[in-house]
Amino acid sequence: MISLQHIFKWVNTGSNRTFLLRDITLDIKQGEFISIMGPSGSGKSTLLNVIGMLDGFDEGIYHFLGEEVHKLKEKQRADLYKKHIGFVFQAYHLIDELTVYENIETPLLYQDIKSSERKAMVADTLDKFNIVGKKDLFPAQLSGGQQQLVGIARALITKPKLILADEPTGNLNSQQGEEVMQVFKKLNEEEGVTIIQVTHSEKNAAYASRTIELLDGRIEKQS
Amino acid sequence: MLSTYFKIAWRNITRNKSFAAINIFGLATGIAACLVLFIVIKYEFSYNKFIPGYESIYHITTSTTTADGEEHNPGVPAPFIEAARLDMPQMTFGSLSASFGSQVTVIGKEANAAGNKKFIEETGIYFADPPFFEIFKYKWLAGSGAVLKDPDVTVITQVMAEKYFGNWKAAVGQFIKIDNAITLKVAGILENIPANSDYPLAVVTSFVTYKSNPSLYGYSAEWGSISSNNQVFVQLKDNDTAKAGAQLKSIISKNYKGIEARQRKFGLQPLAEVHYDSRLASWGSHSISKATLWTLLLIGIFIVIMACINFINLSTAQAINRSKEIGIRKVLGGRRSSLFWQMMSETALIVTLSLVIAISMAAACLPFISHIASIEEKLNLFTPEVLLFMLALAIVITILSGIYPSLILSGFKPIVALKNKVNSTSVGGISLRRALVVLQFSISQVLIIGTIVAVSQMRYVSKAELGFNKEAVLVLSTFADSTVIARQPALKQDLLSVNGIQSVNFNSDVPSSNNNWGTNFAFDHKPDEKYTLFLKFADPDYFKTFGIEFTAGNAYSLSDTINEVVVNETLIQKLGIKNPADVLGKEIKMGGGSWRKITGVIKDFKTNSLREATKPLLLACRSKSYNNAAIKIKSSNLAATKDAIQKKWDSHLPAYANSSFYMDESINEFYEQENQLSLLYSIFAGIAIFISCLGLYGLISFMAAQRIKEVGVRKVLGASVANILYLFSKEFTILIAVAFVIAAPLAWYLMNDWLSNFSYRINLGVGVFLLAAIVSLIIAWVTVGYKSMKAALSNPVVSLRSE
Repeated sequence: MISLQHIFKWVNTGSNRTFLLRDITLDIKQGEFISIMGPSGSGKSTLLNVIGMLDGFDEGIYHFLGEEVHKLKEKQRADLYKKHIGFVFQAYHLIDELTVYENIETPLLYQDIKSSERKAMVADTLDKFNIVGKKDLFPAQLSGGQQQLVGIARALITKPKLILADEPTGNLNSQQGEEVMQVFKKLNEEEGVTIIQVTHSEKNAAYASRTIELLDGRIEKQS
Repeated sequence: MLSTYFKIAWRNITRNKSFAAINIFGLATGIAACLVLFIVIKYEFSYNKFIPGYESIYHITTSTTTADGEEHNPGVPAPFIEAARLDMPQMTFGSLSASFGSQVTVIGKEANAAGNKKFIEETGIYFADPPFFEIFKYKWLAGSGAVLKDPDVTVITQVMAEKYFGNWKAAVGQFIKIDNAITLKVAGILENIPANSDYPLAVVTSFVTYKSNPSLYGYSAEWGSISSNNQVFVQLKDNDTAKAGAQLKSIISKNYKGIEARQRKFGLQPLAEVHYDSRLASWGSHSISKATLWTLLLIGIFIVIMACINFINLSTAQAINRSKEIGIRKVLGGRRSSLFWQMMSETALIVTLSLVIAISMAAACLPFISHIASIEEKLNLFTPEVLLFMLALAIVITILSGIYPSLILSGFKPIVALKNKVNSTSVGGISLRRALVVLQFSISQVLIIGTIVAVSQMRYVSKAELGFNKEAVLVLSTFADSTVIARQPALKQDLLSVNGIQSVNFNSDVPSSNNNWGTNFAFDHKPDEKYTLFLKFADPDYFKTFGIEFTAGNAYSLSDTINEVVVNETLIQKLGIKNPADVLGKEIKMGGGSWRKITGVIKDFKTNSLREATKPLLLACRSKSYNNAAIKIKSSNLAATKDAIQKKWDSHLPAYANSSFYMDESINEFYEQENQLSLLYSIFAGIAIFISCLGLYGLISFMAAQRIKEVGVRKVLGASVANILYLFSKEFTILIAVAFVIAAPLAWYLMNDWLSNFSYRINLGVGVFLLAAIVSLIIAWVTVGYKSMKAALSNPVVSLRSE
């Protein structure tokens, strides 16, 4: 599904070149659940953003579902990720002005899905995540765990093939984190959604089938 | 999709109430100002255009070029119209003459009855021939213009018919008398003339009546005599002005000889232009130059631009708060275009809300504004044209103020936006906002300077030393025929017995007026001088009544006709005489008259409004010109004394109405238009300042939000509140200084031009400009004070933790 070959990313500060990613080569198959670990500044989030096509890279080859991402223009990349990837963030990133229902509905609006169909899809999702009773609340009225559930529900509503989660449990207590991990596990096992998560927690990393450890922008260890 | 846009827009508005309020209120003020100006300007441009076929109607003017320059007269010599009809038979010429201050006495059904109701018609009674009404196709309730072929008939408008007879239907066939001399039969009723007319006809009598009463109305068959009261209009065939112009030229060469043929010119003034040419005084309530209208339009445009700038400043300042939402939406699949349209529809919603508020603001202000713009008609906010303008304005404002912020916001890179790393450079930089604020402040400073100059000039004018005493002088004006003249001495004796009256005098003209009665003249048995001598006739008590002082000699002695004369200092100077006493006993000759002895020289007083320089003047007795009685009253108890005066008047002159005014009030009326304009300018300057303050408030909010971390760091490093305040105020103090550098020369140029309308004017000194700069600085400091104080007082721990 994903194939990275010799990916480099750097920034120039003055005459120095600082590498964010160095020679990353990585293959990820459909249905895998992967954890990316590493200390602060090791390039975890950068790698996730590169995979998610939110960020570019300077050198290397990237195939996503057979497309040569490194040859695509920015707009085409955006189209690609919008179609296939769902994002989950540490800070949830719900739209404060929208209700739970509307937050979940938003991605569908951008895909020009008909109103009746949208209603059905949102209702399904609310049901699946057990948040029907909260659909008219605003994000500020929810606990962190609930907000993250909404964030995941929103990421999943377009039925993406890949979920990219950047420290999804970083702002949650351990019990809430546990719940989120259970949701991921279930999605991965029952629906075959590919999941790549960045995490600091060994415990959460253990949910994954494979763990990649980064240090200073290069893959230190794969297991 | 659109409903979602509006929903989130609405929630954004309610969430950020203060931002939204500033945005909406600023825009609403701008739109309201623009709407009111549009309606006023549209109205002024509608003058005379209700007349069918106005495009081919022209007003004939006469211009005379002499060494002193070109003089324009809206009238033509009386014989002109016959000559023109003969030479240009394919065109229709109509004649309209006027007599101002004439008296109308309502007689009733019997032509010989004595009238009971009498009115002085200040705005004039008119004399027209039937072709005039073929050109001006007014609507008739009864009769037609054709009835005016006969002498001693009149047509009146509905409103006059109701004033005289209570009911216009009853008016036809009844009689009125004008100037206690001519009895007229009402033969037709005109529909009321719209207020946007420069020819506010009310009582229109047949032209033959005018022609056959030269002693009353001054008809003269001489080609050399041109009166502005005798006007001619033509409807051109095929609108061929070139051909008509050539034919008018040939009328000159046929009827004038020698130097006059070279000096004189007849012109064609389009009817649609009459309202805007101040050189040719119109008969309407006011004329207004196109330059003034364009200035007002420009102010309207400026105000809208300023409101849009505010919107841009505030929305981009807010953009930082919105960046997270934009980032999420992009990650969730939102395209730039859909985000762009989301922002545009938010702008549209805000503009729509503003428009609604603006309409109610405009509706509230319109009566007030139309009053100070001396528009008599009730202006309507909901005509199709105005509604169309509102729609267009809303669209233009949405585009002007929406595009830039929408482009910026929708262009955020999702990863940057999500990490809240959007900063001033990614929303266009502070430099753009600086430029916009400089533009705003330049505009408002031009308006501030303009207002200060206009207000000080008008104050100067109203306080100026006129050279005579204008306080507590009541002037009664009437149409003086031989009966009035004969009874004046008795009336004077009787008035002087009234307690509180200090002095009574009869005259042709008060010291300062719009009248310009002039003649050619010769001094000391030399040939004619090359300039005009202006005349006022009065009995010798004139000098006492108005407190006019003599620099040499004394007043002339009382007589009925011109005998001895008094002249003013300006004339002496023009004659090149240094010592006023030198002219005493010398003789002067007016026109083709006899030589008259000069008995005194008076100190100059202002002969006209302060727009004009003091003119060389001669005063003498000539009782048949005495239309005015000027009465100096002891200032206490003016009203009671006025009543007593009216009683005396009625006992001596029961058949004669008078119009009365206080001298000081009539002088203030000279400057009515300037006063109104300066009031209008001040109002719109105030609005502009208000809007630019909102903009500044927006900018400072933006800066405070941007620099919150910087302020935190500075405070941790030991900066005091004063240091932080300085940090913020330095910025916009420089902006205002830059704006001032742009505004000052522009304002100087504009106001110098305006001041040149006045012969007597204030000096445009540095003070005015300093004052404007100080005013805008103070306003700006007050505006930013709150926000920068808040920023300066904020706890650095809180602002630094937000990282």
